[in-house]
Amino acid sequence: MIQRLLPFFTLILLFAALSIASPHFLTGTNLSSVIRQTAVINIMALGMTMIIIAGGIDLSVGAILAISGLLGCMAMEHGLPIVAGVVAGILVGMACGLMNGLLTTKLNINPFIVTLGTMGIIRGSALLISNGLPVHQLPKSFSYLGEGVLLGVPFVLWVLLLCGVVVHFLLEHTRMGRYSFAIGSNPDAAFYTGIPVAFHTTAVYAIGGMLTGLAGMIESSRLMTGQPTAGQGYELQAIAAVVIGGGSLRGGEGSVIGTLIGAFIMGLLANGSDLLGISPYLQQAIIGAVIILAVFLDEVRKRKLMA
Amino acid sequence: MLLALQGIQKRFGGVVALRRGDLAVQAGEVHLLLGENGAGKSTLMKITAGMQGFDAGAMLWKGRPVAFRNPAEAAVNGIAMVHQESLLAPHLSVAENIYLGREKRGPLGYVDRNRALKAARALIDEHRFPLQADWRVERLSPAGKQLVEICRAVAHGSSLLIFDEPTSSLPEHESAEVFRIVRALRDRGTGVIYITHRLEELRKLGDRVTVLRDGETVHTGPMGETTTARLIQHMVGREVAAIYQREARPPGEVLLRVRGLTRKPLLKDVSLTLRAGEIVGLAGLIGAGRTELCRTIFGVDAADSGTVEVAGRVIGGGSPREAVSAGLALIPEDRQRTGLAIGLPAGQNMTLASLRAVSSMGIIRKSQEQAVIQEQADRLHLKAGSARQIAGKLSGGNQQKVVISKWVIRLARVLLFDEPTRGIDIGAKTEVFRLMDELARSGTAILMVSSELPELLQVADRILVMRQGRITAELPGATTQEEILRHAALEA
Repeated sequence: MIQRLLPFFTLILLFAALSIASPHFLTGTNLSSVIRQTAVINIMALGMTMIIIAGGIDLSVGAILAISGLLGCMAMEHGLPIVAGVVAGILVGMACGLMNGLLTTKLNINPFIVTLGTMGIIRGSALLISNGLPVHQLPKSFSYLGEGVLLGVPFVLWVLLLCGVVVHFLLEHTRMGRYSFAIGSNPDAAFYTGIPVAFHTTAVYAIGGMLTGLAGMIESSRLMTGQPTAGQGYELQAIAAVVIGGGSLRGGEGSVIGTLIGAFIMGLLANGSDLLGISPYLQQAIIGAVIILAVFLDEVRKRKLMA
Repeated sequence: MLLALQGIQKRFGGVVALRRGDLAVQAGEVHLLLGENGAGKSTLMKITAGMQGFDAGAMLWKGRPVAFRNPAEAAVNGIAMVHQESLLAPHLSVAENIYLGREKRGPLGYVDRNRALKAARALIDEHRFPLQADWRVERLSPAGKQLVEICRAVAHGSSLLIFDEPTSSLPEHESAEVFRIVRALRDRGTGVIYITHRLEELRKLGDRVTVLRDGETVHTGPMGETTTARLIQHMVGREVAAIYQREARPPGEVLLRVRGLTRKPLLKDVSLTLRAGEIVGLAGLIGAGRTELCRTIFGVDAADSGTVEVAGRVIGGGSPREAVSAGLALIPEDRQRTGLAIGLPAGQNMTLASLRAVSSMGIIRKSQEQAVIQEQADRLHLKAGSARQIAGKLSGGNQQKVVISKWVIRLARVLLFDEPTRGIDIGAKTEVFRLMDELARSGTAILMVSSELPELLQVADRILVMRQGRITAELPGATTQEEILRHAALEA
């Protein structure tokens, strides 16, 4: 039990330590910026949580983020209203997720390989479509999505909370969520039980794609550009957030709360390093070490369970 | 005397696997080891090959007391085991597999493939193995793989070879080749221990025989001095306490009708019917096709031909989904691998096949689900809290109850039980039987695969016997073990 709560205590400890170590940490501006920085990874990680629980993985989310942001922005550039542009971005993300799901289930290929391949395909398509150039001509008020404030906190926090509640409800209270856990825990047993394994696996990838599409629009809104090169390396951060939060890459385990905590731990590590003047090069190494540590502690817990 | 095991005892937790294992093997003989499933044959051989320790007794190897701590130590001493499942590296060549772990080295310490190939060729020629040293192992038949394992044992200078049911999965002409090699090795002075279930093989091969029953050696002697019927009597002579009393159940309508089901090479033209209220036993040796029959009826494997009819409706096959919606259920042999989502709470496993009934618009009604789980838990005498525990942490018996209740909640009408009592204790067995009886009484049709003949005799109304993919006999519930074994093991 203690070890299950470990990510939570780590987050609290990190928060307290940074409050003491830096006078600039516990300020409205800084905390808002942490939330804004973390929100994109966080929303992607929510989708990744569902995928990992169902025993899958998606390495293409960084590329999906880029192509959704790009196409959503291009839609706005061509005169579509802002809301329609955002919806377009989300649909593009869903289409990409659907492709991943269908390739995994229909061709019966390991999702690691499928999404490694689609990572290249999607990224390449984004660069081809845009000729490698970013989209700039965006309506001014589009920046509200990423930078706006509602009821005193960043607007993205509300978006994040809404996504968190929805994914939590899907996982814990619907048949689809229960099937996801069952498929991830033991795909053979799920198949023997008569669960439509391929359908639910595909659906989970599609939902993950939608969330990534939304994250892509938020990223575009923060930068006020649609960039075909956006989101490089984000897939690893999203996976790391899930794993630090107690998700198991073997499937069948994970939670929304855990993932949110995992993403914020990484966000605070990055922010704290900035405030304390630690080299960004070292930051990467620290986050890498934290991931290994988190997985190791989780393994230790599980080995005890099995014994 | 090459090997002498004297009064070997071994327990696993509370379960006694060996009470008094005695076995003496001489150089230059083929020694058959017989016994029913669970008699302790495999445990005795694992101890000999250093895969397990023993609690009491003595093991003498070439007259010296020994206790091998691991398989490597046994191998260095000249004991090799040929496994039922091949333990070879499939992507390497025959020669590389023969010398795996003891590679032939060149002068600078590098692995010398040519030396290995040459040495392997010489060995293969000497013993006339039907193999080529440069063949890749993955392309060999199961018999070919076994020959490579034997080759490896010979190359390592083993003086005792242990075969654990080597031919149970081999067609006849291939097992003949294995026999020829085994006899040739014997004639060169190698000791051979041979575990088998196939009684017809005995005469061709064995010099002496030892029979184990319930962890004790009950007979040992030359093959020439005994009859097959006597050996069967030694094997089955055990008394089983009456753990289950049954009253007659009148059979009702036909719920499952299988016609001409064929799936090559394991199932050949199998037909059977199950009626409501009936428990039908399915007996047979390992490899007879019983598990394959269950899997094919349930749609896990697709049939080449034949039909499956549930309550008068033909189901397409090819996916368990259709079978489940038609009212079929399979309680598989391997609970951990195919029966349970072991990482989920037991309760969630119980409702997994019936979530539609406790949800609306895709949303699970938790209180309703909880009520269903509670009702089942009470009925199955699961301890309070068990339903919330992770399924993987429950005892084997409770895991089995969870799998069964998954289908009880689903209201499945035809249940296929594959080895339902494997790995569970006697108390849980009684409860599983009681539950099966209760289900049959309420109109369910049950097919029960079991290798435990006394259990089949106690539970089943009729017993079907399979051998080599066919149903070879239908016997009344009041038959005898000898009769079942005769149909399961002997040529018609």
